[in-house]
Amino acid sequence: MARSTRATSESRVNHFHDWGYLLAAFAGLTVATLVTRGSFFMLPARYALPAQVERALRYAPACALTAIIAQGVLTRDHEPFLTFRNYQWWALIASAAVFVKTRNMVAMIAVGMTVFTVLRLWA
Amino acid sequence: MFNLLPPIDHAAYRAGIKAMAPLTPAITVWGIVTGVAMVNAGITIPAALLMTFTVFAGSAQLAVMPLLATGTPLPIVWATALLVNLRFVIFAAASRRSFMHLPWPQRLLASYLNGDLGFALFSRKFANADHHGNPEQWGYFYGLNALNWLVWQAGSVVGFLVGGLMPTDWGFELAAYLALAAVLIPMVQRLPAVAGIVSTAAVAVATVRLPMRLGLLLAVLVGVTVALLGEAWRDRHEPPASRA
Repeated sequence: MARSTRATSESRVNHFHDWGYLLAAFAGLTVATLVTRGSFFMLPARYALPAQVERALRYAPACALTAIIAQGVLTRDHEPFLTFRNYQWWALIASAAVFVKTRNMVAMIAVGMTVFTVLRLWA
Repeated sequence: MFNLLPPIDHAAYRAGIKAMAPLTPAITVWGIVTGVAMVNAGITIPAALLMTFTVFAGSAQLAVMPLLATGTPLPIVWATALLVNLRFVIFAAASRRSFMHLPWPQRLLASYLNGDLGFALFSRKFANADHHGNPEQWGYFYGLNALNWLVWQAGSVVGFLVGGLMPTDWGFELAAYLALAAVLIPMVQRLPAVAGIVSTAAVAVATVRLPMRLGLLLAVLVGVTVALLGEAWRDRHEPPASRA
């Protein structure tokens, strides 16, 4: 059994049943949806979005998604996990290649999960 | 009592539904994938239902799943969602002319519903309109976004149920990262963005030992800076006309 799955399943049991934590999290996340989508709908007309700020805003979402994916796939137990035994990484590369080629999200995820499972069971 | 809806032209409302209709298969698939990935990340179905009907932002929901799973401090969770959502600030700035004279409760509901697809279709139709803020535009907006909301939520709920049937010990948390990669890839078309995400990934991995997942925020800061520097460098070395 892959060690990575066990390590995370131990910790997640607690937090996803901690309703106080979850309710507070969802409240703040709903605010995060509202303040971003609502930003310039709610601000008075005299406030505009400066071009330089807009440029930075264009890159932030891609970088945030990358940071989450990189820490999720390229690290394990708070340590970098950059070896050929990192099956999640191979799965991510395979599925990204499928998505770039086909733009088909279902095919992408199916290929990624298959590669991961095959490597996990037989490599 | 607040009136949450502006006056709506019903023909435009139907036109909005018609314009969104061809995208419903894609919205359904993305909803199902998000739902499956959330449940595989370990969230329970009741919590997932509450989350989708309040937060209503698929990419941010997926992005914070691994953080919630490990009990990351809430300010980091919220900051991560804000960063992923920052693209909506650009949407709001671009489409505000049609909404900013409405009473604030109506603006608030409209902004809550103004996701990626609705914004794209609304801008395509009205970006060059002579007048902004009329029942035709509001009707079209609500036609687009009512259908998007409905199909997205239906897809997500199906995804929760499907995800609940899948084995929990097969390492399928990976699905969330793959789904996020599908959101990420279309955002990265040019060299400055590529430089930005490569440096983000390097810093994110190098700083994973920092407490409270602070490395995430540091990585984004470095990545955005590198992308902006890359853009400035490109502008100096390449005449803008030669860019697509």
